Amino acid sequence: MNKIADLIVKLKWPIIVVVVALTIFFGLQLKNIHINSDVISSLPDNDPIAKLYKDIGEKYGGNDMGMIVLETDDIFKTEVFEHIKQITDSLKVTKGILTVSSLTDIIDIKTSEFGLEIGKLVDEYDLPDTQAELDSLKQYIYSKDMYKGSIISEDGTATLIMFTMLDEADKQAVAAIVKNKVEQMNLPEKVYYGGLPMMMNDVSDLIMADIIWLLPVVFLLIALILYLSFRSKRGVIFPLLTALIAVVWTLGLMQISGYELTMISNNIPIILLAVGSAYSIHVLNRINQTYDKDRKQALIKALAYIFIPVVLAAVTTAIGFVSFVFGAYLTMIRDFGIFTSIGTVFALLLSLFFIPAVISAFSMYKKNTDEKQHDNEEQSNFISKNILKPLVNLLFKHPKYTLTAWSLLILLSIGGMFLIKTSVNMQEYFKKDNPTRVSEDIMQKKFGGSQPVFVVFKGDVQSPEFLNIMIKTEDYMEESPNISTTQSVADLVEEMNNAMGEGKHIPDTKEKIEQLWFLLDGQDIMPQLVTYELDEAIIQSKFVSTDTKAMEEFIDYMNKFIDENSTENCQIQLTGMPSVYVRMNESLLSSQASSLIIAILFVLIIVGLILKSFSKGVYATIPIIATIAVLFGFMGFAGISLDIATVLVASIALGIGIDYSIHVITHFNHALKETGNLNKSLEDTIMISGKAIIINVVSVAAGFLVLLFSQMVPLQNFGLLVALSMIGSGLGALTLLPVILILANRRKKITVK
Amino acid sequence: MRLVKLSVLVSVLFVLIGFNTNAQDGNTILKKLDEVMYSPKDMTAKTKIILIDKAGKQKSREALTKQKGTDKRLFRFTAPASQAGIATLSLPNDVMYLYMPAFGKERRISSSVKSQKFAGTDFSYEDMEAKLFVNKYTAKLLKTEGNLLVVELKPKSPKSSYSKIIVKLDKVNYYPTYMEFYDKGGNKIKTATYKFEKIGKYWNAKEITMVDLKKNHKTIMQMSDVKYDTGLTDDDFTVRKLKQ
Repeated sequence: MNKIADLIVKLKWPIIVVVVALTIFFGLQLKNIHINSDVISSLPDNDPIAKLYKDIGEKYGGNDMGMIVLETDDIFKTEVFEHIKQITDSLKVTKGILTVSSLTDIIDIKTSEFGLEIGKLVDEYDLPDTQAELDSLKQYIYSKDMYKGSIISEDGTATLIMFTMLDEADKQAVAAIVKNKVEQMNLPEKVYYGGLPMMMNDVSDLIMADIIWLLPVVFLLIALILYLSFRSKRGVIFPLLTALIAVVWTLGLMQISGYELTMISNNIPIILLAVGSAYSIHVLNRINQTYDKDRKQALIKALAYIFIPVVLAAVTTAIGFVSFVFGAYLTMIRDFGIFTSIGTVFALLLSLFFIPAVISAFSMYKKNTDEKQHDNEEQSNFISKNILKPLVNLLFKHPKYTLTAWSLLILLSIGGMFLIKTSVNMQEYFKKDNPTRVSEDIMQKKFGGSQPVFVVFKGDVQSPEFLNIMIKTEDYMEESPNISTTQSVADLVEEMNNAMGEGKHIPDTKEKIEQLWFLLDGQDIMPQLVTYELDEAIIQSKFVSTDTKAMEEFIDYMNKFIDENSTENCQIQLTGMPSVYVRMNESLLSSQASSLIIAILFVLIIVGLILKSFSKGVYATIPIIATIAVLFGFMGFAGISLDIATVLVASIALGIGIDYSIHVITHFNHALKETGNLNKSLEDTIMISGKAIIINVVSVAAGFLVLLFSQMVPLQNFGLLVALSMIGSGLGALTLLPVILILANRRKKITVK
Repeated sequence: MRLVKLSVLVSVLFVLIGFNTNAQDGNTILKKLDEVMYSPKDMTAKTKIILIDKAGKQKSREALTKQKGTDKRLFRFTAPASQAGIATLSLPNDVMYLYMPAFGKERRISSSVKSQKFAGTDFSYEDMEAKLFVNKYTAKLLKTEGNLLVVELKPKSPKSSYSKIIVKLDKVNYYPTYMEFYDKGGNKIKTATYKFEKIGKYWNAKEITMVDLKKNHKTIMQMSDVKYDTGLTDDDFTVRKLKQ
């Protein structure tokens, strides 16, 4: 160990040069970093249902559809029609927009005994302006299934303006232009925006908001805590500097390796500030406390002592983050885990190499005068006097009470665990007043939801058999209470057959269908329903409920039908948001279990190896496992659901929280070896390591608590739960662990005797 | 005093003449254009329609075409096999009849939506509308470019989906070589390229390429075996004939 420490001091200049060069290099990458606000892109490619959903969205252009909702007490007013026309006309000439359909621009086909009359539902050049006209229009619209509930709400208070974008358009930019244009019209109606491009635009804003507002807050807060703990400039500057450099490196690396900032990974800087500053705190603390006439020797001594504990702390934390890789459903969670853990390693390397190098290169040692004050400071310290001393007394007097208290708490928590709910609905991830969530709510209330359901059919689209199965599927779907309308090319074929005077059904020969295609070819709607090669077609629908149970039931209901009706000539598959949510829900529980088990095993092995004793490894993990039990209990009682972010808490808590136990055990072992006195060793441990633990708990918890102000609900809960786990594991390391050590050592003594 | 009056008179005259010349120019050009486009009494031809999507995939259709005057037109499709026999008859006032052999009957289709595409091509009903240019547009000569006149057309009807069309015509023979269509926001949305040849005494558009710039979709319409003035009568453009 001394050799490494010696080397660090010797190579101080190369180290500093490398760090500065790397920071400039990675820093330059930052200006190119992309924000990826496309939630759909985070669905995993290795889940066939999610993959199919992504592919369908791309193939049929569904992902490029934007929606504007106008809401007022009554749509059937001339003024409202004028506003709809104003928006429609403005969108039509917006660059990047392909088609627009709204009440003032939608084709209406009337079928009579003579043939077809193709016209506009509303003549945009002669809007209805008398009550009689408005009334008759209203009556006509509500007489047709294709308008009711799709372009106008059943209660007549909301209407939709839908637009599709060009493939090559920058969808978010177009969304921003659309929003801007409509907002400048200053319309009296309430306006909402929906569809993936509009949502991406909102999410993008929200990602930026989190970075701009939360990062400085976390920075200042941690600076304040550091100052209060160390009362020196370098005690503030060094930890923050390492954390910041680690952030720059991590984000720079993300950019180079082609990853984008998502609504989860935008919090990497905040988390690295909270977690990463801890390692340099330890290093600094040790350097401060090590006295030697030769300052260089003191530095080397300090480094040699702190090297392993700090590496251990960082590695366990990194394992906590990286354990998501094995269970996370969304790729953005997996990426978040990987890069946070890389960032943790960066912070570790910087605290071990860069900090000592800077201190020795610039001779920034602590002044000697500090030495005299050292003991006084320690004595008068608030934490020692008011928290640690009473704690030591309590533990020695009533070890069994402490154990009983923890046992009761754990039992209670196990009860709470059964109350934990899961939440996979992305709507609930936004705050109640978030525009995306408000729009989704409106879509659900007025237009039968906005969660797409697709049924994919492969085969010869122009065969009567194929189209009849599609119609049968649509009828079956519409019997479900959660499906209000369905749309497919089969409907259009029926419509055209009716126009030919044959009645509303699928023609009985392929010949007829091929000729009807003459009327359908080139229609704007066709690429949204059928492939160019005519070998695949889809039913488009929307799912009303956001309840996972209802989704599960619907999928079972559909799968039963698919099993019975899918044939070689017409292969049927189901996908859509409900299917994806159900998969996500299943994966939440399994990923929670797998990531936690992996993290516990790894930590147990590493701690056991380092402490050279399996039983000590087990002792060290007991407080953190107890904390995790309490954490789950709290989630159950407090009604915090297991979601894409809270599912990560347990592994992270394990990774960070284990450090406290490791500190306590190593210190205790050292002291016991030196003094041979159990009580004295334990008191020393709690009095000295306890202080560092409390400072660390407070700074990490405070950092995570800042996430309470995040725009994303899962991150708010995530922040709260990690902070609670930090407090819990700190408390566990300082109460439960000492009691276990006391009891274990007493028993050992008895058996020895 | 007299001098002033005189100068006012002269400048007014000048303005009037100048204005007139300009308007005359535009109108004259349109009339000449109409002469080129619509002077044959009737025409029969083979038409090939090639549709090319943005990926370069092609679909083609073939039809026999008959046309009389400016407003009667009959298409009878011969290929692809699945659509062979389908026929359309366009009559004045946006009325069209469609015949499908598989159903053995015809249907009347009336459309008031000008922006609607004609049978899956990049031509809209408005583009296919066989109305005299002078009736549809006001024209302004913008400039001459070598052998070409560049004219700006503005639709007279507010219902048109275009705000303007820029046309390039041959200076000597007045057939169009190129058109640009602009939407109401002033964006160029379509272009048409024409290839003309002289058959007998008439100019014939043997190939028109219409490109939808938004969709990056292309329609090529080619004409062959063109015969003019073969003496078609109104009887050749009846529903009864459509079914044969």
